[in-house]
Amino acid sequence: MPTRPARTSPRPKRQRAPEQHRSEDDPRIMLDREVSSDLYEPIPPYPTRTEREAEFYTIGDGQMFLNLGPQHPATHGVLRLVLKLSGEQVVDVDPVLGYLHRGVEKICENSDYYHVIDQVDPLEYASALFQEWAAVLAFEKLMDVEVPPRAEYIRVLSAELLRVASHTLFMGFLALDMGGLTPILYSFIERDEIVEMLAALTGARMLFNYFRIGGVNGDLNHEFMSRLGDWMSRAAKQTEASTGLLNENEIFVRRARGVGVMDREMALRFGVTGGNLRASGVPFDVRRAHPYSVYPQLDFNVPTRLEGDSLARYLIRMDEVRESIKIIDQCLNNMPDGPVMAKLPRLLRPHPGRAWGAVEGPRGMLGVYAISDGTDQPFRFRIHDPSFMNLEVVPHLLPGNLLADTMAIVSSLDPIMGGIDK
Amino acid sequence: MDRTLKRRLEARLGAQIQGPIRQRHDQTEIRIQPGDVPDVLRTLHDSVDLRFELLADLAGVDTGREMQVVYHLWSETSPDWLRIIAEPLSREDPRCPSATFLWTGAEWLEREAYDMFGIVFEGNRDLRRIFMPPDYTSFPLRKDFLLPDDAARSPGEGVRNVERPFAPAVVADDPAAGIRRAPAS
Amino acid sequence: MRALPATFREQARAARAYAVESRAFALESWAGASLTDRLALILVPLALFLFVGAVVSAVVMLGPTIDFLRANLPLVRFVVAVVGILVLTIPTAFLLIYMELKVIARMNLRVGPNRVGPWGAAMSVVHGLKVLAKEDFAPTGVDVPVFTLAPVVTFLASVMTLLVIPFAPGIFGQDFNIGLLFFFAMGGLSVLGLLMGGWASFNKYSLLGGLRSAAQIVSYEIPLTISVVGVILLAGTMSLNHIALAQSGSALDWFVFKQPLAVLIFFIAATAEANRTPFDLTEADSEIVAGFSTEYSGMRFGFFYFAEYVNVFIISALITTLFFGGWTAPFNWPWPYNLNWLDASGIGAAWILIVGLALLVATDILGAAIWLFRGRRWSAPSAFGMGFLIAGAGVTVLIGLACFIALDWVQGIFWFMVKTYIFVFVFVWMRGTLPRVRVDQLMGFAWKWLLPASLLNLFVTAAAVIILNLPSAR
Repeated sequence: MPTRPARTSPRPKRQRAPEQHRSEDDPRIMLDREVSSDLYEPIPPYPTRTEREAEFYTIGDGQMFLNLGPQHPATHGVLRLVLKLSGEQVVDVDPVLGYLHRGVEKICENSDYYHVIDQVDPLEYASALFQEWAAVLAFEKLMDVEVPPRAEYIRVLSAELLRVASHTLFMGFLALDMGGLTPILYSFIERDEIVEMLAALTGARMLFNYFRIGGVNGDLNHEFMSRLGDWMSRAAKQTEASTGLLNENEIFVRRARGVGVMDREMALRFGVTGGNLRASGVPFDVRRAHPYSVYPQLDFNVPTRLEGDSLARYLIRMDEVRESIKIIDQCLNNMPDGPVMAKLPRLLRPHPGRAWGAVEGPRGMLGVYAISDGTDQPFRFRIHDPSFMNLEVVPHLLPGNLLADTMAIVSSLDPIMGGIDK
Repeated sequence: MDRTLKRRLEARLGAQIQGPIRQRHDQTEIRIQPGDVPDVLRTLHDSVDLRFELLADLAGVDTGREMQVVYHLWSETSPDWLRIIAEPLSREDPRCPSATFLWTGAEWLEREAYDMFGIVFEGNRDLRRIFMPPDYTSFPLRKDFLLPDDAARSPGEGVRNVERPFAPAVVADDPAAGIRRAPAS
Repeated sequence: MRALPATFREQARAARAYAVESRAFALESWAGASLTDRLALILVPLALFLFVGAVVSAVVMLGPTIDFLRANLPLVRFVVAVVGILVLTIPTAFLLIYMELKVIARMNLRVGPNRVGPWGAAMSVVHGLKVLAKEDFAPTGVDVPVFTLAPVVTFLASVMTLLVIPFAPGIFGQDFNIGLLFFFAMGGLSVLGLLMGGWASFNKYSLLGGLRSAAQIVSYEIPLTISVVGVILLAGTMSLNHIALAQSGSALDWFVFKQPLAVLIFFIAATAEANRTPFDLTEADSEIVAGFSTEYSGMRFGFFYFAEYVNVFIISALITTLFFGGWTAPFNWPWPYNLNWLDASGIGAAWILIVGLALLVATDILGAAIWLFRGRRWSAPSAFGMGFLIAGAGVTVLIGLACFIALDWVQGIFWFMVKTYIFVFVFVWMRGTLPRVRVDQLMGFAWKWLLPASLLNLFVTAAAVIILNLPSAR
């Protein structure tokens, strides 16, 4: 048996992990202690520049800053709310955005008119068809395109289905932010049914890429119609059952009633639209105020409430679900035959001009301002997002409430960060 | 197309409207000087026959030669959307009065226009960047924004800036590469 | 075979040499040895010496040791009880965690864990192993001694209360005269642990969570204890064993019928004490990421987690003992029934042989049956394995039934566990259904509603005891 060779050199030292990169040595990072400020906590790590920033980041006696986010189990996406707290009570809020900014407007300036529709989907990803619709409306105005009536009805049908799905999701998240674990799963079950339906129609579950300039990308098919019929036969009862879980829950109602009251003047001053505005008493709905597509021919109500608190915002969306089901019913009954897409050249080159198109999304008015310079790419593609305006109210609604109400208020405004941060 | 709106606007605003009032589809468009913005918006908001109470959008536009600020308003008195184009704003020092005195919601919209274009809104209490990091130096939606230049001046390359309130305009080395000129409209 | 490049061959040679060198434990000198080697050299022989010494002394001193233990039987009993309690909390917590996962999943129209064992039963065990295996660290800036002790304090405060709970006639840790007082005193110590955890983590979320929990627990302790005084008045004693005995008889003797308001108050206050939904804002993960346990991970978090579930078990056990009769059966059984014909002393150790034989025979029969009738889908070993399982289950059930009939403490444990787990199920049910209460609503409820209600209950009970001249009034 061969013997092991004798050790000739001293035993090598065990390898250690390489020295961690020290932040003191990195010239690209400015450490907190380098910033001269007489705040107790050096937030933000740069000198404040504006009046409002200085006002916010000056801390009083017994107050502290708390960062809610951007990584947080309950902010709706990557939202950072810098709260100035006095114990549990919120004194001031500074929302910091931009964590999901993807430069969609710039990308759309470098894309074809077809490609823009695909790019604009992930803005409000929970209800993607509405962004497509707004973009397509603006482009159709630029190009003077007539949309065939069947395509219009299909657009309304799919959009209202998605509105129901979005509101159901909103309800689930509102309950989750208040601590109830069950309603969100029920709302995902319902949303899944609708999303599967739309997948049968459009081919995708979430980012549909379905609307086209001049129509939609495909006619109704058998699977979609059978799923839709199935769903319609149960929709009303299912909605009642799911909303009953929260409407009659004493704890939920007491946490949402009277919290985050936004009155009429405040809502109008902030440019808030959608369910939040209607919950404050202003019956502004783009489908009625400035009708587009076939909405003038459809019969539906615009629910309005006067209280303006979180509970009203929640109840209004549940009312809207019922209205949407009515609209879907009418669409199915009145669906005309015909083509689903207008005849358009392959390379779209609109004349130079400007157009604005606005639709009523689940969160409010989604507007698109498109400028064309005669080439096949839009010169300027501006998206106005409703969640952006809705979130702006937050620094004026939160102060005075407790930390626990933060979630009740922010969730009831239904922000989707994709749209806010573009 | 709301002809009555055209007449009412001419009656109320008269001298402040530059050029003809254009109407197409369901939109009415007027152009004003940036200095007239507060007066015009106040008139539109307050006058009894106009009552444009809802600010639908506030956007910046870079036409390649100059900058514009575009407002979209809605009123119950008219079925049209009203578009107000405040131009010209120079590219070196774009300044425009703020609309926050009328609509508090304009604050964030103006922050976004500032962040993307560098347009300074006088009267906005909180004019800082909203999407880009606070020490960012370029203005992304400008037509002369070139990503390689921007990357070369970014913290990834070791350049550390704390932003000043107004950064000087950036001129690209190769004008033909990134800028597209709008046709004369 | 293509020749490897020269560099590869050199690298392989160097690697082999290094491996050989590092494998050989060749210690040349003390000075050349590393710190770990030196420690090993000292400690291993020392441990061996101590172990051998202990074994020898135990063998030599066996007799006197047994005499000592026999003389101090209460001490032995106490040590056994304490060890049993500490050990049995782990399976209890495991069972509760699994139950919570599955029951809430079913309420959410989901399935819950179903991969990790039969019907996902090994999920808790896997969770436990996972927290054990995680890195144990304390974040920068924490107060390390306090940070380390916080989960220990919380866990121990919960577990010590198990000492006084009577699981069956004769099965309890200690029968204090002031058992209930001891229980609340120990239970209140958990506040200390939560506060320590909240403060020592260098984190504002934890601070908020810790302070919230301190405020909540302290305010709900008062209605909790006052509502229980009615039971003490009715039973005439603070000893939990005697309280359970005072309810023996039938279900109508249970205190729930005599103290309905107290049950309600106690239930609500106990939910708040255990930080369960709807009062779980100390760990509200939609507001303050995980409350006081934000910065905890690994086994430290495991202790907090276990403490919470053991707490749920404990308060369910307490509700059962105080109001629902503890280990007493709901109706009068003519038991324990003496199974004389199964007299164990007559047959003696041959019982084991009989049980083993029965198991073997049953396994063979069942295994063969399964294999014959489902031959294609079951291989022989798995068929016999299944047969063994079924036979084992059957034999266990038979033995359990015999014990149940013959022994009163088996009955006691059975009824106690049934009632306790009904309440555990109610707690889990509440978690799956209800949203969270806001902190000011919570405090307002405790001080403005529960406290006056519990005082009212106390006065009414005391008046009834005096007026109706109940036996405990003396």
